[in-house]
Amino acid sequence: MTLADMPSATSRTAAERLGSVSSGNALELRGVTKLFGALAAISDVTLTVRPGERRAGLGTNGAGKTTLFNCGTGDFLPTTGTIRLFGEDVTSFPAHERIRRGLRRTYQISLLFGGLSVADNVYLACRGVSRGRFSLLRPRVNDVLVTRAAELIEAVHLTPARDTLVANLSYGQQRQLEIALALAGAPRFILFDEPAAGLSPTERSELVSILTNLPGHIGFIIIEHDMDVALRVAESVTMMHNGRIFKEGTPQEIENDAEVQELYLGGGSHG
Amino acid sequence: MTYAVRTSGPASPMLFERVPPLWWAIALVLIAMPLFASNFVLFQIFGWTFILGMIGLSLMFLAGYGGMVSLIQMTVAALAGYMVAILGTSGVPAISLGWPWWLHIPVAILVAALFGTLVGALAVRTEGIYTIMITLAIASAFFYFTRQNYGLFNGYTGFNNVLPPQLFGIDWRQPAPFYYLTLACATLAYAAVVYVARSPFGLALQGVRDNPRRMGALGFSVTAHRILAYTFASVIAAFGGILLVWQSAQVSPGTAGIPQVIDILVIAVVGGIKRPVGPFIGALIYVLLRVFSPDVLLAVGLSGERFKLLIGFGFLVIVFFSPDGVLGLWEKFKARRAQSRDPLRGDRP
Amino acid sequence: MQSLYKRHPVWSVILLVLIAGFLWLIFAPWPPGLEQVMGRKRIFLNAILSGITLGALYFLVASGFTLVFGLMRNVNLAHGSLYLLGGYIGYEVANTTGYWLLAFPVVFILVGALGLLLQHQVFRRMEGEELRQTLVTIGISVVLADIMLWIWGGQSYQVLSPDWLSGPMTLPLISSLRSNGEAVYLTYPQVRIVILCVAILIGLAMWLVLNRSKLGMLIRAGVDDRDMLAASGVRIQVVFLGVFAFGAGMAGMAGIIGGTFQSLSPGEDTRFLLASLVVVIVGGMGSIPGAALGAVIIGLAEQIGIVYAPTYSVVFTFLIMAVVLAFRPQGLLGAGR
Repeated sequence: MTLADMPSATSRTAAERLGSVSSGNALELRGVTKLFGALAAISDVTLTVRPGERRAGLGTNGAGKTTLFNCGTGDFLPTTGTIRLFGEDVTSFPAHERIRRGLRRTYQISLLFGGLSVADNVYLACRGVSRGRFSLLRPRVNDVLVTRAAELIEAVHLTPARDTLVANLSYGQQRQLEIALALAGAPRFILFDEPAAGLSPTERSELVSILTNLPGHIGFIIIEHDMDVALRVAESVTMMHNGRIFKEGTPQEIENDAEVQELYLGGGSHG
Repeated sequence: MTYAVRTSGPASPMLFERVPPLWWAIALVLIAMPLFASNFVLFQIFGWTFILGMIGLSLMFLAGYGGMVSLIQMTVAALAGYMVAILGTSGVPAISLGWPWWLHIPVAILVAALFGTLVGALAVRTEGIYTIMITLAIASAFFYFTRQNYGLFNGYTGFNNVLPPQLFGIDWRQPAPFYYLTLACATLAYAAVVYVARSPFGLALQGVRDNPRRMGALGFSVTAHRILAYTFASVIAAFGGILLVWQSAQVSPGTAGIPQVIDILVIAVVGGIKRPVGPFIGALIYVLLRVFSPDVLLAVGLSGERFKLLIGFGFLVIVFFSPDGVLGLWEKFKARRAQSRDPLRGDRP
Repeated sequence: MQSLYKRHPVWSVILLVLIAGFLWLIFAPWPPGLEQVMGRKRIFLNAILSGITLGALYFLVASGFTLVFGLMRNVNLAHGSLYLLGGYIGYEVANTTGYWLLAFPVVFILVGALGLLLQHQVFRRMEGEELRQTLVTIGISVVLADIMLWIWGGQSYQVLSPDWLSGPMTLPLISSLRSNGEAVYLTYPQVRIVILCVAILIGLAMWLVLNRSKLGMLIRAGVDDRDMLAASGVRIQVVFLGVFAFGAGMAGMAGIIGGTFQSLSPGEDTRFLLASLVVVIVGGMGSIPGAALGAVIIGLAEQIGIVYAPTYSVVFTFLIMAVVLAFRPQGLLGAGR
């Protein structure tokens, strides 16, 4: 089965409808600044992403990309500025409130539950965005979420490892699990933080195929150092430098821009 | 490796086949115990073990599954005991309200669970290492308060003659009935913890333990889960507390003094806080030490009062060499036995 | 201070008004109506002074505790035992030699050495395992408590303050007015005022060292980011040893003072451990000014409670702690989250 066939009940079609009909943007940052003491990790960032849009976030180390993501998910509150998710002002919302509204995130260094199995990890991801989080009753054999978790595990090719403790997975498998967690429930917008880091070439092409085959209503921003992966899956690019937005445009425009080449690509086109 | 749920497929093994034989043997011995054990062993050793084990289990739930080492469990237990004395009958008729058992017992548990939840609400919004401090401080405050307050808690003396109700015509404080009562409660508490550990709530709690940031990013309210974990643990501790007060027929500030609070931590850690059976193992060791070490100490020429020293040293040794407690030692032993198999032929030297 | 005012202007004004009112209560003679409502001013002044001097004692104990936690993330639950041990040793020294002052250096060295030993032989081997370290401190406190019980028994000991410190002194605070309008000034035990001054001096000295010396800079850097400090080549283990030994020595010396003010007996270790916990919870972890603020608040709350509402003084302390935890979990002067 492919990701496009991923059943997620009526909530997906609702999200699809919402995503295409709503006049708002999926993610909108206005004038967001984050100060750590005297250091401005990001300054005055204004960013709009439409529903279903695939954007790449590029920039050198320290440009502020991960801080941007952290503000987006709610790991910390921005010093100034507003953040809107599907038209709703979520600036002061804690992370779990944003997630329940369709936002998802993967992490540069996999954040997984080491003491639990792959199946448990994915089950938790499915549970987190549905009701019954505090249920004291064990799920039955034909529980909807258990089935959905199994399908997700299948979609990222981890079924043989479903009962392995996460601590015992290989690095590549952990990265795949990381993606599966982000796809649980009915995601509407995903923040991928360097998903290709440390992957082998085969694993990379698999990642690209997963990303390009995501259902059309799911938009995302992908931070990546691997330009190959980033420019293949993205339809638009935002470049950051020193905490500010430096350039925005299509992949071709960015690749051929002289300033970008000098700063980031080190002169000449990327092979 | 058990799953969150049994997968469909060929008939999954029945309960009878899944439980290892050692457990069945232990269960049989425990059920048949009154046939061959003395009243002292039934009441004082096993009764006390089950009770302390339950309160330790409450700590284990929070620490092992939730990553929160809370020292408030004994206080919650004592509060439940105090409520039974205040709302039921005791030797202090000026304060006790004399409510019937089917009213005062549930209310006592409710009050204790509420208290535990409130403490949780105060303790969970800070980093893990503060939890010990905050819960210890609140536990101390409770001790000093009950000692000073005469209107409700009867101060230094506390309540005596707090006895279990005579249900079904049985005096539940007799050794054999009390043994079965505590055995049943302990088994229920143990089963509840084992079951809930794999429920959505329990799994989520373990997720919160392993990676609270990720749990938030998956849509869980980390704070709410932690606080509700305190509620669940407090119910178990409350049951233990009521049984404890019935066993000694009295409750006083000393029931939840700092040494007693620390003892529960010792019990849970020595037994092993990673699995629910750990606190019961720890409780048995503790009770045996408490009961028999004065004799051992006298034999060696020391005063019988030095058992605290023995317990303290034992605790230090365990934390030093096997932080996972006795269970940890058992795991290491099993691992080494598995390793000593001949890699080629699979048998042991 | 300025940021506090900017962020909460209303609260700052209320706080200023309260402080002004408080100061007036202390320094101005009371009109007769007020005495009927609040009782005699002398009692009020005594409660306030006892609270502040008790706070001084709490500060001395808690400062070592908060430093050790702030830098080494080690919740030393044996801190109360070190206090009591210092007190007992100080009693023995003062009793046998007759010199009260001699007890201080002796206790500082002995208890500090014990601290050194603990940090070097025990805690260093558990670097990074905070929970395990805390459990070990609990075990140590149980063992120490029983050994002290064995040696010194269950009775109360009082460290006698030296002659040149005993007796009352007159303070420039008006306690009442005689019928001819002349002011009666408050008399108060000298030893307590002296200890208050000493505590202030020590507090200032610690603050200076932490904020103005190179060693202090190292410590503060370590509190912020321990790994970074170690990575920058500083012999971090030596700093840890020093801080732990210092904290232990301070606790021991505080024990002598507590034995002079009040008394020493089994159970005092728990009481002062609890006091340290509450003080740093309220004041903020790893902050010396926080420990001072927390100590004064808790000392005052306890003494005022004992004088005006004896059965509920514990509740006051607990309420303050609960309110701080509910609204500012990191403590009043603790590092923001």
